[in-house]
Amino acid sequence: MELLQALAVFAEEPGPTHGRLADLLGLPCAPDPATFSDVFLFNLYPYASVYLGGEGKLGGDARDRVAGFFRALGSVPGPEPDHVTVLLAAYAGLRRTDDHRAAHAATVLLHEHLLSWLPLYLARVQALAPPPYPQWAALVARVMRAEAQRHTQPGLGCTHLRHPPGLADPDADGHDAFVDSLLAPLRSGFVVTGADLVHAARRLGLGLRIGERRFVLNALLAQQPAATLRWLAEHTATTGDAWRPWVDDAPDLARWWVTTAEATRATLLDLALDVDRARLAGAAP
Amino acid sequence: MDEDLETLNARVSAARAETEARGETFYPGPSRVHLAMFPPRERWDDWVEYDATAWPRKDERRFMLVPTTCFNCEAACGLLAYVDRDSLQVRKFEGNPEAPGSRGRNCAKGPATINQVTDPDRILHPLRRAGDRGGGGWVRVSWDEALDDIAARIRAAIVEDRRDEVVYHVGRPGELGFTEEVLAAWGVDGHNSHTNVCSSAARAGFQFWCGQDRPSPDHANADVILLISSHLEAGHYFNPHAQRIMEAKANGAKLIVMDVRLSNTASHATHWLAPWPGSEAAICLAIANHLVQTDTYNRDFVRRWWNWEEYLRAEHPDRETSFDVFREILASLYADYTFEFAAAESGVDVQTLHAVAEAVAGAGTRLSTHNWRSAAAGNEGGWQVARTLFLLNALLGAVAVPGGFYPNGWNMLAPRTPVDPPRPAVWNELHLPLEYPLAMYELSFLLPHFLAEGRGRIDTYFTRVYNPVWTNPDGFSWIEALADPDKIGCHVALTPTWNETAYLADYVLPMGHSSERHDIVSYEQYDGQWIGFRQPVLRAARERMGETVTDTRQTNPGEVWEENEFWIELTWRIDPDGSLGIRRHYEAPGRPGEKMTVDDYYGWVFAHGVPGLPEAAAAQDKTPLEYMRRFGGFEVSRGVGQIHEQAVPDAELDDVHVTAHGRVYSRAPALPVSYSTGASPDPDDQGRRAAGVLVDGVVRRGFPTPSGKLEFWSSTLAAWGWPEHALPGYIRSHVHPERLADGEVPLISTFRLPVQIHTRSANAKWLNELAHTNPLWIHPSHARQLGIATGDLVRVETHAGHYVVKAWVTEGIRPGVVACSHHMGRWKPYGETEGRGSPRQRMQVSDVSVERDGDRWTLADRSPHRPDATHDPDLLRVWWSDIGVHQNMTFPVHPDPISGQHCWHQAVRVRRAEPTDAYGDVVADAARMREIYREWLAKTRGADQVSPTGERRPHWLKRPLRPQRAAWVIPSDRSPAAGGGA
Repeated sequence: MELLQALAVFAEEPGPTHGRLADLLGLPCAPDPATFSDVFLFNLYPYASVYLGGEGKLGGDARDRVAGFFRALGSVPGPEPDHVTVLLAAYAGLRRTDDHRAAHAATVLLHEHLLSWLPLYLARVQALAPPPYPQWAALVARVMRAEAQRHTQPGLGCTHLRHPPGLADPDADGHDAFVDSLLAPLRSGFVVTGADLVHAARRLGLGLRIGERRFVLNALLAQQPAATLRWLAEHTATTGDAWRPWVDDAPDLARWWVTTAEATRATLLDLALDVDRARLAGAAP
Repeated sequence: MDEDLETLNARVSAARAETEARGETFYPGPSRVHLAMFPPRERWDDWVEYDATAWPRKDERRFMLVPTTCFNCEAACGLLAYVDRDSLQVRKFEGNPEAPGSRGRNCAKGPATINQVTDPDRILHPLRRAGDRGGGGWVRVSWDEALDDIAARIRAAIVEDRRDEVVYHVGRPGELGFTEEVLAAWGVDGHNSHTNVCSSAARAGFQFWCGQDRPSPDHANADVILLISSHLEAGHYFNPHAQRIMEAKANGAKLIVMDVRLSNTASHATHWLAPWPGSEAAICLAIANHLVQTDTYNRDFVRRWWNWEEYLRAEHPDRETSFDVFREILASLYADYTFEFAAAESGVDVQTLHAVAEAVAGAGTRLSTHNWRSAAAGNEGGWQVARTLFLLNALLGAVAVPGGFYPNGWNMLAPRTPVDPPRPAVWNELHLPLEYPLAMYELSFLLPHFLAEGRGRIDTYFTRVYNPVWTNPDGFSWIEALADPDKIGCHVALTPTWNETAYLADYVLPMGHSSERHDIVSYEQYDGQWIGFRQPVLRAARERMGETVTDTRQTNPGEVWEENEFWIELTWRIDPDGSLGIRRHYEAPGRPGEKMTVDDYYGWVFAHGVPGLPEAAAAQDKTPLEYMRRFGGFEVSRGVGQIHEQAVPDAELDDVHVTAHGRVYSRAPALPVSYSTGASPDPDDQGRRAAGVLVDGVVRRGFPTPSGKLEFWSSTLAAWGWPEHALPGYIRSHVHPERLADGEVPLISTFRLPVQIHTRSANAKWLNELAHTNPLWIHPSHARQLGIATGDLVRVETHAGHYVVKAWVTEGIRPGVVACSHHMGRWKPYGETEGRGSPRQRMQVSDVSVERDGDRWTLADRSPHRPDATHDPDLLRVWWSDIGVHQNMTFPVHPDPISGQHCWHQAVRVRRAEPTDAYGDVVADAARMREIYREWLAKTRGADQVSPTGERRPHWLKRPLRPQRAAWVIPSDRSPAAGGGA
């Protein structure tokens, strides 16, 4: 589990130790601070609550559930208990502890708070980040998969995913609520990063307005709503791609995420069709 | 994990092991899982920080980080000195993460060491009195002159068999017996400690139970923490205990605090009980009664580990010696200690007492308790507070288990040293007179009275980290004694700073602060053993740079020395040719005829006396001494556990004899152990050693008591004149309402402030800024009766004097009780500075006039505290002028007849000050002081009347510097058979 401890620390801001760790882990290089900021501060926030919370933001119920896990173990949760470093290091620590209670806790932590979001997160890191983070993510994924194979999921399903709020209805809830829910992975089933939106603007030939994700996405939707909705629908496939390697090792989790993303995809395509119809209707004499 | 991952995992593990074996940090942090509150130790040679004073520029400063140990209380927390590599000056102190007790954390007193080190008024050179003692004249002398003079006096006292005339009087020891070894080498029973104004009562209560005289509570793992003290925030071991108490609280533990005041500790409590002073034992007994009556005590533990069989045989010989009979008697013994009774005594309501008792009952074995000074030190019979508190642990079996109470010695390291002189063959009756056979320990605060009675004389008197004029009760009697060369021939003050006692010295010899001296320390702060090293950091820094330092004075400021080298040098000058047989104890191990150095001493201790250290050092390619100079601390063991349950190995059992109640004696010697075994139970009449106790058919180590078990019934108290107090009980205090005259209220004077040191923080500006005065706490209802408001001057009248102080009206104290912290009111005699060049101490000190008119002594403030930036511009930033009042001088001595503890609480009258009164006035009546001393002395039952063995004291009880057995025998003309003589 020392390997996992080292991988946990590697997700922190680069310091003097990262070069040595990169060598030991066989990663191509040590990260530079700008790369770290681009990946972890601006695009792929390494917190469970972003992926498992109803608002897709830091904190909230999802973080409280993680903190509760630590409290149940008798420890005092830190200010960011759902950060990937904390979770991986806690898992490594529990696996190093030689008693039945710790072993059970490790298995709960694995399936409840790690595998419930990490496969999707790590796949996106592999897809988007510059070296050494794709290699880091691949290595974390390999270790996690090996752990998942060794420690199968307990009987109960993941509490984070038990009562998801679901995608907002643009008609009933309004446009803004709908966009917010698209950007919350727990509700939409997929991850849209700032970099993804830059990519979308280029691909669709639309003007890119710089800002936080909701602002950028709204700008795209305002220019070309149907094309943007179809791009989003196509982007939901990243979830399927991410979970494909996990179908055997975490089948329930994989099924939940893929199903949710497919439902979103269908909704997005329907909406795009509605936009097309309305446009055609508006163009009719 | 697949094979590649296994390989990768093994590679990272190996790299970590290799890194840590080099003493380096694999994950130096900072990260969310590896904090970097401290520089990683591999970078301690060259640590770079920005100069805070240069902000916003980023000027780099390079430091060498050198560990030492704080000396500002007894907790011995680790410090890291930041030594500027360019100037070789200490710039600041922070925590040492390698210190196992403090774990890198410090209270305010640790970093404030820099104030003490850089104090412009500190003493830098040896000084000798010029003119009358106390007259204020001083001349600078060389160390050689001072050493030769003092050595000649001591040599004469030894050669002329006046060994009782050499006395070393210590306040804060801060070491593990180095100086006791010196005194033993000289053959003098010259150790006199401050214990009887501090912890005697608590020690007595614990020692009668378990043979160890302090608690080592496992706060961190407790479910319920019961403190009769303010230990969380202000007490002994403040920082190491506080951090562990807070851990327990974070895990849901309940904190119960008994304190008359809303102390900082009480403010954190789940239950704060503010009982009438002295009623704490009644509350403990009511809780105990609840445990017994509800049958929620740990019957199996009581059956196995209490000396109930011995008790039944002694006190109930007509009853069957069975546990059932004992249980029946136990149920009746404390039946009168109902919650209603405790409520009537304490003023705490029945419901609260019941809730607290239920909480204690619910703790099971996870009950950690602590009492040190506080109620035990305040009240006559206060030792029963500690004894009844331990009763709760003993009832629940919360002894030497996680979350419970560990006997302190098991959690202390007692390293062997290269110095092993024979014990002294003499007994100094000025320290332990016949009247107090059970005292813990020396009756130090009665010394002026003993000298005045002509019980003896002192030729050479060392005070060291000790300021009896200011600290002790009846300080004027100390002035009288110290000023009289017929009583004290030569007073040598070993001190880094001026104090009220040093002004009455013949020599003032500057000794180093915590970063300027060597000591080793080990204290009970959790269930583990550790050792810490205090070292002169500039010496260590220069040695790290390749220089050779042979004398700590070479690196200390001015001519400031350290005591280790001082004592060794003095010993050699007492016996320069070795003819007295003294010098040989301080010859270098393996180099006969050569003087021992501190490197010789500590090198030997670390190599031979600290289990595991040589191996840990070798793993880093260091000698044990190099390891300790580098890191400052070493954890010997963790989870010492239940020593009493351990089976005694067969090798320790030979020609075994077992008594009727299971005490096991053996002729085989004990195997060496690393912990402190505590008291020394007597051998049997055949000379066999007390080796263990038979429990459930197994010879176990047991406790270091006469019975080998926990002594619910103390055969010692029963046999040495106090049978009525042989069981844990309740003694009504001298400030019990029944014993107060009309209009009198108890004054609580013992409480500490967490940011002050008893007598050594006057020169620490940072600390003084946090707390600098000591108003009289008084409840609003009480204040209304007296017509007093906050800030009003009030007169506090004790039985032998009065002082004038400001009132602080607060609901943070029990109505009908007043309190005043003992920390403040530092002064210097006006004559010390009048017309002289040296300012002496300026910070936090008033210039006063000390006058005597017959038996009437007065101390009056001559000059309000004012900043004086002549030498130190920082003093201009002193914004406060009220620095408190010295109340202790108005307190008569109250020696408890059993423990010998000075019972600090005072019965006082409080009223508005007279128009002629001034803030800081102190008046005392020496005749009343003497009368009250004699009244309390009359309560004693001296060894010459009660000793069942013909000895001065139960031999098994602990005693500093234990003399040879023959010296314990009461001289024939004063023995009980001779009709006594005390």
